[in-house]
Amino acid sequence: MLLSQVFHDIEKKIITSLRDNPKQSPETLEQSTQLSPDQIRRGIEWLKLKDLAIVTESKTSIISLGKNGIESFQKGLPERRLLDLLKTGPKKLSDLQKELGSVFGPSIGLARKNNWIEASSDQISLKTSPLELPGEKTLQFIGNEKLSKDKIDNDDLSGLLKRPDFIIEDIVKTKDIVLSDSAKTIKLSDSSGEIDVEAKVPKIFVARTHPLKDTIDEIREIFVTLGFSEILGNMTQSSFWNFDALFTPQDHPARELQDTFYLDKISAKKIGTPEQIRNVSESHKKNWRYQWDINEARKMVLRTHTTCVTIKHLAENKPDEARIFSLGRVFRNEKVSYKHLVEFNQIEGIVVGKDANLRNLMGIQREFYKRIGITKIKFWPTFFPYTEPSLQTMVYNERLGKWIELFGMGIFRPEVTKPLGITKPVLAWGGGIERIAMLKYGLDDVREFYNNNLGWLRSATKCR
Amino acid sequence: MPVVELSYTRLQKLVGKTTIKQISDSLPFLGLDIESEDKDLVRIEYSPNRPDYSTDFGIALGLQGLLGIKTGAVKLKIKKSAKYSLSAKPGIEKIRPFVTGIVAKNGKIDDKTIKQLMTMQEDLHFGIGRKRKKSSIGIHDLDKITFPLVYTTANRNHQFIPLNSEKEISISEILTNTEVGKNYGSLLGQSSQVPLILDANQKTVSFPPIINAAVTTVTTRTKNLFVEVTGINKEDAEDMLSVIATILQSAGFTLESIKISGAKNSSPKLEEKKMTVNSSLINQTLGLNLSTSKIISSLKKSRLDASSKGTNIICTIPAFRFDIFGPMDLVEEVALGYGIQNLEPSLSPSQTIGNTNPVSLQLKSLDQTMIGLGYLEALNSSLTSKRVLYDMTNRDTSKIISVLDSKSLEHTILRDSILPGLLENLSRNIHESYPQKMFETGTVFSIDNPLSEKFSFSGISAHKDANFTEIKSILQSALKTGFGIKIETKTATNPTFEDGHCATIILNGKSVGVMGKIRSTIIENYKIRVPVMGFEMSLSESILKTKN
Repeated sequence: MLLSQVFHDIEKKIITSLRDNPKQSPETLEQSTQLSPDQIRRGIEWLKLKDLAIVTESKTSIISLGKNGIESFQKGLPERRLLDLLKTGPKKLSDLQKELGSVFGPSIGLARKNNWIEASSDQISLKTSPLELPGEKTLQFIGNEKLSKDKIDNDDLSGLLKRPDFIIEDIVKTKDIVLSDSAKTIKLSDSSGEIDVEAKVPKIFVARTHPLKDTIDEIREIFVTLGFSEILGNMTQSSFWNFDALFTPQDHPARELQDTFYLDKISAKKIGTPEQIRNVSESHKKNWRYQWDINEARKMVLRTHTTCVTIKHLAENKPDEARIFSLGRVFRNEKVSYKHLVEFNQIEGIVVGKDANLRNLMGIQREFYKRIGITKIKFWPTFFPYTEPSLQTMVYNERLGKWIELFGMGIFRPEVTKPLGITKPVLAWGGGIERIAMLKYGLDDVREFYNNNLGWLRSATKCR
Repeated sequence: MPVVELSYTRLQKLVGKTTIKQISDSLPFLGLDIESEDKDLVRIEYSPNRPDYSTDFGIALGLQGLLGIKTGAVKLKIKKSAKYSLSAKPGIEKIRPFVTGIVAKNGKIDDKTIKQLMTMQEDLHFGIGRKRKKSSIGIHDLDKITFPLVYTTANRNHQFIPLNSEKEISISEILTNTEVGKNYGSLLGQSSQVPLILDANQKTVSFPPIINAAVTTVTTRTKNLFVEVTGINKEDAEDMLSVIATILQSAGFTLESIKISGAKNSSPKLEEKKMTVNSSLINQTLGLNLSTSKIISSLKKSRLDASSKGTNIICTIPAFRFDIFGPMDLVEEVALGYGIQNLEPSLSPSQTIGNTNPVSLQLKSLDQTMIGLGYLEALNSSLTSKRVLYDMTNRDTSKIISVLDSKSLEHTILRDSILPGLLENLSRNIHESYPQKMFETGTVFSIDNPLSEKFSFSGISAHKDANFTEIKSILQSALKTGFGIKIETKTATNPTFEDGHCATIILNGKSVGVMGKIRSTIIENYKIRVPVMGFEMSLSESILKTKN
């Protein structure tokens, strides 16, 4: 695969230098190429990624002389100095001590051990003076240099290493760069200017909208296309609109703390018109047979569905004909798991019209699913406190090989619409968006949407 | 949703001529979801408005109708009996005023039946009984009781042997030492008197709504049952009784009446009720054109009785179907009997022109502008934690908005700012390559009589060369392109931003946000190793237009 590639100048210089001198450190490359350390570092990285350079890291021991080593290099080893003094005849101990100073003791000891000298009561005389003492050659070899340990006679060095402050040993990491086989023959430049269009290129990360937001936008667009208008509403709502107006009795289990988030110490001042409050409370008293409590209705909750937004809109506008939808976050006090989030997005849609019927409601669902690419659907009856009849859609997921519950739907109960002055039938449906997005992106863990893991955000495919 | 566990083969026996396949195919069309199947065992989720589906006996009744094996209303046959009476004594009206009951004889009770009856009792207690507050049930061995009974009050020193116990203990001990006592004792309030059912020999039968006496325990040797229901509302207690009576009759028992009297109590009627619905409401609501005879046969499949008078359908509804409030509920019964699978979806053409909300449109434009500037969109929960929102960023906690009893420690506080969440995101991505640039638009909350919700816009940039100039340029450019507005910056101090690198964002002379370099202590706490610039500003006050 000896294609000519496009090389950066830095890469070219490094390759050329390594062809002349096949094994080099970054430092020698700096000298030979005249590039900066940073340029060399980058160039080596690039070549490594392209499998053109092989970098081996190794540790080397660097030897130099310490304080005493340097002194001995200049004046000779202490024992050599002693032997030299004795060459002119025996010397008194006290004279030797004066001459040799601090090395007197060790030098006498060593010379005696090696039988180079003879000591009588107060004087020392020479027996023999070897031509070369152990360590002398190495000491001269090192001198003022810093040398790699492997270039030194280690036997001769070992004696010096034992002496205090003679030898300094530094462990340094070194990098050796060699060219790979393919780099040895690769063409560095091509007079025709051709480049390797098949070569790998670096990754660039795109900036993008969040995948879940893409799904939300897609759903919004489908409903707008189907003639629906979007309304917005608050995430914090009074219990009145979230529950009471939707015929959910105040002692209903769904209203309890373990399912619904209530705001601490915050309650709504104005929850509805006096007429709305009177009519809703009467419907509750009559049908559910309990003492309706306005303070319960004032408690603020994080909306458990977007239905509170649509019902409020209907109660305020009382349209005879309308197609409306609302999109937004809803909350459930649940343990977070791969299946459940405490906060997720919901779409909620309604159709108001004197002829609106259940089959129309099913028709809108079928059309919506078709547009997001789901064609295998069926409807099952279900129960919601505020709709009658109530249905749920089941959609078939090929990847999981099973039916999954998606949107719930129904016609608002007269017990919901009548107290609020809504006279025409209202078809309503809604459901979680994350579930649809999970199908779209093939996710098995719903938490992924809110992890903001850049690895995933940068790689998730937009169109599926 | 409540769940009942039952056996397919047992259910098949109860339903009659059918196959298990037919049963499992039909269950969803009764509104019953199969939660899981394990060979013969099936767990079924049912709606809380149908407590009769809390037993296989009740589900069998529904399936018989849908499959056409037995249709029409289930009639309660209650033999009038003078043998049994129960009278309520004065004083009880202040504590738990109402009592009702029935006798069920000559039934066969095996372990499975006991289990089904217990599940039903649990469900009735939890659902329509509202955790025993509204009404509660006691089921007893009839033959251990001597009639007549009294429903009366006793003080807390009264002693008897409660269910699952061997020795006599006092009411006070039951309330403080037993599981049921602790769970439901509060329903009795602070009163020194508690409700009690005593038999003719002054033997304690039941201590409602807490526990039965051990002596009347139902076992597989029990033949005859006495069922009592007590509560704070007569209709609710009788509704509950009607479910039990229907189920016991289906389980093979013969029902006999109990005369109830005293202190505003009277014998339950458990009567069917009549309700009329016009066939045009049915056809209009369902989008069908069914004949009255088809409507009647559909209602019968839903185990109701019906006849027609002109276009009116007169429906007879058994007492246990108290989930039927009005004509619209009958429409659903027709739909179920007709079969939801037989309803063909139809798309009616739209008479309206759709519109995206202007705020959504503007936010989308801003998103696109930020993407053009190389920023990736993040999404964070608006319900977050004190750690993320305040502790990690040194922000002021005086106006914290928290929710009650969250099951998740990571989700306890409504965000008043988006930026802390983005910093948290950076900390989770320190292994990913830089530069990292992210933005988020979303709702923030603040206390404002009682609360206000505003749209906020925040962005961060993290890389080794990140600096104030860059982030100011980005924000300036985004706002210019997005909304055609120009901002100014003035020196400021802020606990999240480095002194001398922090500015207030000023729009039309008003402060709308803050920007600058995130404090190095925060960055270090998050173990982020590059400088981070950030901004956050409100979009609600003077930028987003809510009308086109």
